Amino acid sequence: MVYVFSVDCSIRNMNDSAKRSLQRLLRRIPFRMLKTSLDKWERLTAEQRRAIDLTPTKRDLIQEILSLCEENKWTEKHIAELQMIYVAENSDQDMWHTYQLVDPDDDARSVDLIQFKEQFKSHFREVQRNVFVKIRKHTDEAVWIRIAWGEGLSPPNNLRASYVVHHLQTPYVYVSSLSSKHKPLLLQALAFSTRHRGIKDANLSGRKLTALRDLLMRQYQHVFTTKFPSPLKEQNQSPLIEKEQSGPSAKRHRMAIEAFGEGALPAIQTAVYKLETKFKDPTNETMTERDEPFRCAVKFSSTNLLESLRSCASSGIASTPLTPLLSSIPLKGRNYFVITDNAPSACSQMSQTKN
Amino acid sequence: MDRSQISVGRATLGSAVRSRRKSRSQRQSMRSVFGVASRLGLTPALTTQRLNTSRKPYKSQTITEKINPEHLALLVKRQWKLSYVTPLYQFRHTQMTTYARRLSAFIAAEKQKGLAVEVGELQDTFKVCFSVLQGMSEAKDDPEAILIQVKSRPMFAKQDEPQKTVWSGWLACVDGNPEYLNSLPTDFTCLPLFGSNGAEGLSSLVKSWFQINFDCCFGPLDIGETSLEWLAALWTNCNGKSNIQSLKMHWTIPAVHALHVEYTVSADDAWALWCSIRGRSLEESNGTEEEGCIDIEEVKSFMQGLMGHFYRHFRLDLSTGNLNQISTALGSATLNDRIKVSTSIYLISTLRLLTELALLRLPI
Repeated sequence: MVYVFSVDCSIRNMNDSAKRSLQRLLRRIPFRMLKTSLDKWERLTAEQRRAIDLTPTKRDLIQEILSLCEENKWTEKHIAELQMIYVAENSDQDMWHTYQLVDPDDDARSVDLIQFKEQFKSHFREVQRNVFVKIRKHTDEAVWIRIAWGEGLSPPNNLRASYVVHHLQTPYVYVSSLSSKHKPLLLQALAFSTRHRGIKDANLSGRKLTALRDLLMRQYQHVFTTKFPSPLKEQNQSPLIEKEQSGPSAKRHRMAIEAFGEGALPAIQTAVYKLETKFKDPTNETMTERDEPFRCAVKFSSTNLLESLRSCASSGIASTPLTPLLSSIPLKGRNYFVITDNAPSACSQMSQTKN
Repeated sequence: MDRSQISVGRATLGSAVRSRRKSRSQRQSMRSVFGVASRLGLTPALTTQRLNTSRKPYKSQTITEKINPEHLALLVKRQWKLSYVTPLYQFRHTQMTTYARRLSAFIAAEKQKGLAVEVGELQDTFKVCFSVLQGMSEAKDDPEAILIQVKSRPMFAKQDEPQKTVWSGWLACVDGNPEYLNSLPTDFTCLPLFGSNGAEGLSSLVKSWFQINFDCCFGPLDIGETSLEWLAALWTNCNGKSNIQSLKMHWTIPAVHALHVEYTVSADDAWALWCSIRGRSLEESNGTEEEGCIDIEEVKSFMQGLMGHFYRHFRLDLSTGNLNQISTALGSATLNDRIKVSTSIYLISTLRLLTELALLRLPI
C-alpha cells in the first residue's frame, strides 16, 4: 500500500517537474520562434500542430502545450529535445568557445556517431551520476550535445544546460554555457570519446557559431598565397589604368586581399588582445626607460570584423603590410591573443618581435 | 472684407515682431558680451586656466557637507543627458512651490491632449518637486542650482503605494564665467547646464514649459572630442587619490562595417604615462607654471602617447576615427551628450568643465 503510494507520488512529482521546466522553457522562447521550434519537435500530431498554429496568443499556446504535456506524459527527455531544437535554431544567442583536440590516437579517424555517443555517455556515467546527457545529429552533420548538470544529490538543472557542437573527424569543438567547474570533466569526456589524448583552448569565441566554424574549416574564399598573381595585362590598356594599378592604392588593396582573401568573409565579430609590452616612444624618455610593461587591452568589434579590417587596410587607415597581430585572426583562426615582449614567459602565447 | 482681415493680421504680426525684436536686442546685448568671452574661451590660454586642477580641494567631506546627501545620491551614478539652456527670464529661486504646481498642471494638461474623455485624477498621476540644490555651485556669482523631480504612481498601483521618481533633471552653473554672468540684465538667471534622466517625452515637456515660462531655449550639449580628452586626463590625474581602475576609451573607425575599438589601459600604467608627461612639462617650464595646473598640451601629448602605443602594435591610425566615449571608475562621458559621475568627490570639478562647455555652446 505504502509502496504503491510512493511510486504514484514520485511519478506525479516527475511529471510536475517536467511540466515546470516546460513552462519555464516556453516562457523564455519568443512567440514567433516558438511555433517553428514546436513544428520541428516531433512530439505533436499533425492535428495538434494545426491547433497550435491557430492559437493567437502566447499565453494560450503555453496553456495548451502544458495540458498536452500532462496528457502525453512528457518527461524531461522530451523537453530537452525541444530545448535543443530551439538552441540549434537560435545559436546566435549564446557565446560559443572553441576547443581544439590534439594528439589523436590511431583510431581517431574511424570514430562514428554511435561509438562517440556510447563512449561519451559511459564516460559520464563513470564519473558523475546525476548528469543528463542528450546527443542528437543536426541537419548539417553536426553532433549536438546537451548536458544538464546536477549538483551533489540535486537533480540535473535543465534550464542551465551546457551545449557542445562537434563535427566528427574535425579537431574542433564548440561549447556554450559551460561553467569553469564543469569544464575539466566535459573536456576530458570529449577527448576520450573522440580518441584524442588532449584538448586545449583554441582562443576563438563568438556568438556566430557558423562564422567560427567557417573560419576554422576555411570554408570561405581565401587567397593566402605569398605570391599574389598580378592582374592580367590587357592588350589595349591605357597608361592611366596601368598607373592606377601600380599606384599605392592598388598596392594597399592587393595587400589587404593577401591578408584576408577576396569575397565574403566569416562574420567574426570581435577580437581581443591583451598587451603587456614595453612602452616605447622616442619623445618620452621616462616611459621608454621604465622596466614594467604597459598593460592594456584592445577589443575590436564590428558586424564583420575581417571585412572591416580588410577595408581599413585597403583604404589606408591601417598601414600595409598589415601587422601580424591582425592578419593572425584568419591565419591562425583565433580571436584572443596575449601579447608580451619576446622574453620567454609561460603566459606568452604570441610574442611580439617588431621594434 | 478680405483686405481688412489682412490688415488686422498684419497689425498683430507687426506687434509680435516688434516685441520679439525687443527681446532679441536684449539678448543680443548679452550675447555680444558673451561672444567675446567665448572667443576668448577658445584660446588655449583661457582654457588652460579654466581647466586647471589646482581646484583639487574638492574633497568628499566638503561636498557631502554642502549638498543634501539625498540629492547627492540622486546626482551620482546616474547617466545624464545634457543640454545647454539660454538664461532664464524672471526666474525666482523663491517660487519653487508655485513652479512645481504649475509644471505638474502643465504635464497633466499635455498628457490629457488627444484623449477623447477626461480621465479623472490624471492631474494627480504626475507630481512635480522643485528644489534648490544648495551647494552645487562654486563661485559667488553662480546662481543656485535647481533640481526637478517628476513623481508618478504606476498605472495599476494601489492607492497607498508611494509615488516613484520617473524623471529627474537639474539646472546648474558651476564656476560660470563671472564676466558673462555679471553682464546679464538683472532679470536673467543663468543656469546654462541642464541634465535630464528619464523618459524623453517628459524631458521635452519640461523643456517646453521652461521655454514658455522663462523665454529660454534648449539645445543639445555635445561634449566633443577635446573635452573627452580633457576628461580622460583629468580623471587619470585623480588616480593618485582615488583609484580609477582603468582608463577605457572607445573609438569608431569608418570602414565597410564600422570598426569599434575599445582600448583599456590599466590605472597604474595610464597614471605612469600621465606622470611622465606632467613631470617633463613642469621641468621644461622651469617652475614658472603654477603647480597643479594642467595644460592642453599635456592632455594632447597624453592622448598622443596612448594612440602611439596602439599604432606601434596594430599600425592602425586611431585619429582617422572618432573618440566616442571615455570611462573610468570615476565616471563616463560620451561624445554626444551623456555623462555619468560615479563619485561625489569629482562632481563639482566635472560640472565646472561642463558649465564652461555649455556657455561656449550657447547660440550667439
